[in-house]
Amino acid sequence: MSFKVVHYINQFFANIGGEEMAHVAPELRDGIVGPGLAFQQAWKGEAEITKTVVCGDSYFAEHEKEAKAQILEWVKAENPDLFLAGPAFNAGRYGYACATICKAVQDELGVKVLTGMYEENPGADLKNSILIVSTANSAAGMRKAAPAMAKLAMKVMKGEKLGASVEDGYMNQSVRVNFFDKERGSKRAVKMLLSKLADKPFTTEYPMPSFDRVAPNPAIKDLSKATIALCTSGGIVPKGNPDHIESSSASHYGEYSLAGVNELTEATYETAHGGYDPVYANADPNRVLPVDVMRDLEREGKIGKLHETFYTTVGNGTSVANAKKFAAEYAQKLLKAGVHAVIMTST
Amino acid sequence: MKLELGFIKISDIQFSKECKVENGTLYVDPEAVKAFMYEDDDVKAWVKDFSFDVAKPGESVRITPVKDVIEPRVKVEGPGGEFPGVISKVDTVGSGKTNVLRGMAVVTAGKIVGFQEGIIDMSGPGADYTPFSKLNNFVVVAEPVDNYQEHKHEYEHAVRIAGLRAATFIGELGRNVTPDETKEFETYGIKEGIEKFPNLPRVAYVHMLQSQGLLHDTYVYGVDAKRSLTTILNPTETMDGAIISGNCVSACDKNTTYHHQNNPVVADLFEQHGKTLNYVCNIITNENVYLADKQRSSDWTAKLCRLLDLDGAIVSQEGFGNPDTDLIMNTKKIEQVGVKTTIITDEYAGQDGKSQSLADADPLADAVVTGGNANEVIILPAMDKVIGTLDYVDKIAGGHAGSLREDGSIEAELQVITGATNEMGFNCLSAR
Amino acid sequence: MGMIGNPHDFLILTNNPLVMDCLDGRGDYTIEYHPELNHRAILVKARDLIHKGHILYTHPLAGSVKPNETPYKSLIVSLVPHGMESEHEIMIGNAIAVYDKFCKIDWSDNEQALRDFQLIDYTLLCGAIGYDAAAGLSNKNH
Repeated sequence: MSFKVVHYINQFFANIGGEEMAHVAPELRDGIVGPGLAFQQAWKGEAEITKTVVCGDSYFAEHEKEAKAQILEWVKAENPDLFLAGPAFNAGRYGYACATICKAVQDELGVKVLTGMYEENPGADLKNSILIVSTANSAAGMRKAAPAMAKLAMKVMKGEKLGASVEDGYMNQSVRVNFFDKERGSKRAVKMLLSKLADKPFTTEYPMPSFDRVAPNPAIKDLSKATIALCTSGGIVPKGNPDHIESSSASHYGEYSLAGVNELTEATYETAHGGYDPVYANADPNRVLPVDVMRDLEREGKIGKLHETFYTTVGNGTSVANAKKFAAEYAQKLLKAGVHAVIMTST
Repeated sequence: MKLELGFIKISDIQFSKECKVENGTLYVDPEAVKAFMYEDDDVKAWVKDFSFDVAKPGESVRITPVKDVIEPRVKVEGPGGEFPGVISKVDTVGSGKTNVLRGMAVVTAGKIVGFQEGIIDMSGPGADYTPFSKLNNFVVVAEPVDNYQEHKHEYEHAVRIAGLRAATFIGELGRNVTPDETKEFETYGIKEGIEKFPNLPRVAYVHMLQSQGLLHDTYVYGVDAKRSLTTILNPTETMDGAIISGNCVSACDKNTTYHHQNNPVVADLFEQHGKTLNYVCNIITNENVYLADKQRSSDWTAKLCRLLDLDGAIVSQEGFGNPDTDLIMNTKKIEQVGVKTTIITDEYAGQDGKSQSLADADPLADAVVTGGNANEVIILPAMDKVIGTLDYVDKIAGGHAGSLREDGSIEAELQVITGATNEMGFNCLSAR
Repeated sequence: MGMIGNPHDFLILTNNPLVMDCLDGRGDYTIEYHPELNHRAILVKARDLIHKGHILYTHPLAGSVKPNETPYKSLIVSLVPHGMESEHEIMIGNAIAVYDKFCKIDWSDNEQALRDFQLIDYTLLCGAIGYDAAAGLSNKNH
């Protein structure tokens, strides 16, 4: 009794055509098509590709919902022991399709999945959710990729415990896994130092987390003369969220006037942030954007004034790149307006 | 400084009235060892009794709690003796000839504090994680006097001395035995080294020593490392026990005296010495709790690296938590004076491997070797024999209540195994 | 600037009764004893002071006994604020994060183990202030 596998490939590997045929809708074929043969040969009878799904890369990109629904239906009916996709090498849309359909099959059908692609393929963004074998960046790497994927696939189908990513050839899933290296640590260290000294490439066994530290500016000498702006990643927006700032993975920031506003109220403001329980922020938005306290300080002469504009976005799942982009942009506006300091609130 | 080590292979240990080393077997009278240990006043004052046992590789034996592991050696030619400043006088060691009883160790065991201190399994999955499962172990179990609870410092000291004395007694038996194998180690003065190896990169070993307090101390020629300023040591000095361990916590990343005597960074640098690098010296530095000490020590480490005109340094640390700060401080400052580093550490990435591994970090530490994630959970099956005691194993590090199961097996983190994630790079364990 | 490093400026935050027994009134430092606070709460108290500009004198992760094991924590911050050090803020924040990542072990039913944890915490503190820990034990306040 051998394991049953469903294989997913694109129009190119199915020999339908190149870019010009990337619009083809999904088809279900019996048995092996194209690179499936390499896997089947590697499995030597222990596993068999019973069905192959072929789908155009453009079709998947433009009709993701329909493509997923159709493919999931086929996979469910076939009930395989493994759903295998690609390898996609460096083909971006193919890699995206492989990773996305694998994740759907895994999450919604509970079927084991495996795909393969080059580390920089956009599909590799899903490496923490699904098993992705690291391959070369072009189809010339098929000779190495197929056996590597086949081997790992067999381990997965047999339910064997996986080794560390570097042992089994899959992309690191941000989980530290122990394994026994061939050489002891001190020897590895001497080798690594010699490479470093010779300006030769080396790979650290533990990449330091990057903290992106920013050196603080000098302190404000006289607060009573300073203009302070309020900014937030806590998602405070005017009631109704007029600019539709997303509750997570925000794609933009909002810029709103505080002219004539003495405090935020439940009637006039709300939070758009989807990452925390909004009840208290909605009931009293000053809790996240403390306009009321700033106005008090203004009246008491403790600060010069509260800047008339506040900048807001949602920090939930928002990429570091976007966060940097927003701030770089509105920091310039703040500078131009003569703001001396910013209070940034988060949650 | 040049030292020749003579390795005498030991493959068996037998108790007998006559004490000698013959044909690879150590014959030893435990009563004689006991008498020798008791010649020390502190041992006499604080240790009620010793019991002895032998644990061999492959046996279904668990040794716990483990205090220290020591290799018996003896100075046969040249100045000084083993464990200078502690057992022998303070004469500088590291030259002449030293015989080593290889393939065995003295293991001291027995409670010092009420929480667990280390397990050595001689077989089973646990054996893979400790280098001491591969040795013939002469185990000395110490029993404290009745009022030791109020005198833990004195008791710890007594057990430490006792272990070193046992290793000294046994090492002496190798004095007149012809070694099976000899190996020579030599480092040169600054000028001599540059003249001899003008084209080889100059490399030193920055060796961080645990130095925080009771059960967390290291001694260099008998001096508490806590009190020492960063300084230089010839690598061969470590081979004569210049550095000994007073560190018992945590079991997986504390350096036993055996680790200090058999420092793998020293050994692997010597392998390349004269070929791909010029091994200049060791720089020893500490890991104090007081922040100003950390700053001073790391400033001095970088200062010495620069003064010695090094090209590169290997940095190893010891222990958990705040030493990560010393490690990063040392690495940053050494890199900033233009000396390239490679560092060795272990990790505490949580049982699921998803937490941040180190308590501190810096992008300048771009060449890291890891001894593995100490939080990984392991099941240690029951062993037929326990040398020591299983008291309190139920609550050892990383377990939950119920660590010690009814069938005698233990569910705990790698933390509890002596030497499991050693940060000198003694083992092959790694992580990604 | 003259005050920094002077024992007069040491504020010892602790929940360890042994520290009170051995060190209270024995030096120029001030001890704030909080038996009602657990290990984490002592770290948080230190953090709050650091936010107000006090500096750290000792590293919050002293010793290799894991934070999830020992209920006792002593550390030294400055008695008066000297201006917030961002390095110290990061250090105490990291210490709390380290505390949170370990699975907790409850030793409260083991008298001897608790006394030993007190002892280790106390000697680590003594190591930091250069106080003879063993001598202190023989010389307790009663």
